[in-house]
Amino acid sequence: MVKNLGQMKIQQTAFMLIALTLFFALVGLFIAGFKFSDLKRGASDLEENNAMLLVTKLANSPEFSCGEAFGSKRDNCVDADKVMILKDEISSKYRGFWGVADIKIRKIYPADNSACTAISYPECGVINLISNSTIGTYDSTFVALCRKEAQNNDYYDKCELARLMVSYQNKQ
Amino acid sequence: MSFGWIFALVIGAFILFLAIFISIKFIKTEGASQDAFIAKDISVLLNPLETGFEEGKTTTLQLGTETRIYNLCENDTSFGKQKIRTSQQSFGKWTESYAEISSRNKYIFSGNLIEGKNFYLFSKPFDFPFKVADLIFILPADKTYCFVNIPEDVATEIKDLRLKNIVNATSSGNCPSGSQSVCFNRAGCDIVVNRNSEGTSGSVTKNRENMDFNGNALMYGAIFSDVETYECQIKRLMARTSELASIYEQKADFVASKGCNTNLNLIELKLAAEQGNFAFVSSIVENIREKTAYLGCRLW
Repeated sequence: MVKNLGQMKIQQTAFMLIALTLFFALVGLFIAGFKFSDLKRGASDLEENNAMLLVTKLANSPEFSCGEAFGSKRDNCVDADKVMILKDEISSKYRGFWGVADIKIRKIYPADNSACTAISYPECGVINLISNSTIGTYDSTFVALCRKEAQNNDYYDKCELARLMVSYQNKQ
Repeated sequence: MSFGWIFALVIGAFILFLAIFISIKFIKTEGASQDAFIAKDISVLLNPLETGFEEGKTTTLQLGTETRIYNLCENDTSFGKQKIRTSQQSFGKWTESYAEISSRNKYIFSGNLIEGKNFYLFSKPFDFPFKVADLIFILPADKTYCFVNIPEDVATEIKDLRLKNIVNATSSGNCPSGSQSVCFNRAGCDIVVNRNSEGTSGSVTKNRENMDFNGNALMYGAIFSDVETYECQIKRLMARTSELASIYEQKADFVASKGCNTNLNLIELKLAAEQGNFAFVSSIVENIREKTAYLGCRLW
């Protein structure tokens, strides 16, 4: 009887311990899950911040900016001729260079939805620089899209209104 | 002692050990994730330092606790990588963090390990001869630099950048104690800058090692960073110069068909930059700069 009582107590303690371990494991899993989702949200926020800050400055980066090529110094001006050349190089040498999922330039006025290729340029409306199938959220800024145009054996500068769009991948 | 007591003591000790072990692991993981967040935050905060047509930009970085920033430069891939790792002081010990945040379009000039609560960050565009990148400089706010015999253009620039930890002195003897002295065209300082008469190029001598520069942006780079970081960043910048020269060369061909002729030898620049001989590239750049000044149709 005494032996049985002792065995009973050990069994009770063992069950209690298993229950306690399971309880703490579940609490631990819950905390870990919460922390992990918090981490993911934080990473996503940082990506969003990065895209937002990058888009305002991307037009001034050397690969995009007009510099003084169109008469005077211009801020938020994208050199379309240069960007079309960059488009061919971007998939090889510039892969991951700006750390965003997608970069495109869309002409606003005159509006045109056709994608720019070496053949269709400049009679087109969208220059897809980096295209990603798993696109996240877009941030954009307005820019002047300038190029050199030929006219009567001479050239002139032509600028149109466009939107520089950058997308980042959601981590959530 | 009964079996029940021994059993309870053993299990209790085990549970206590497990709780302490998990807590320590948890604190370490939290510290590491915090370090990774700070590193990424710094990397994101560097975006506004990109310049348009400004000569430079300054900002301050205030971190609540004593922080170490590791500036890691890699030049093994096409444009190389700028990596940042941070470590913060927690209970008097530095957190161990292995999370590195890397970016390929940033160039940070600083010592490979800088420490402090507050930092000054400033950027300057690097034109070679076209704009290649914005160079970013990180200085711990509590480290003072003493510039001796400072040229007028550099003095104006420093004043405009409002860097409070850079002071001017007439001789190294007048420098505040504990400061790092920087002499311009004069010996007797921790760092000696020899600029040519036009102030366009020269070399910086630090710890008996020479670093050649072209333009003020690289001069600051040589002053504020260590030799390894400087040489690594130069290689990365040369790679980008080469790629941009190739883009401008193709653009020159394209716009020539529209009547905009330039006749600049950008292929030579591209090849020289690819090989990475900085002195040779500098001479080609000076040549192109002279020609560009008289061009009717500009490429950049």
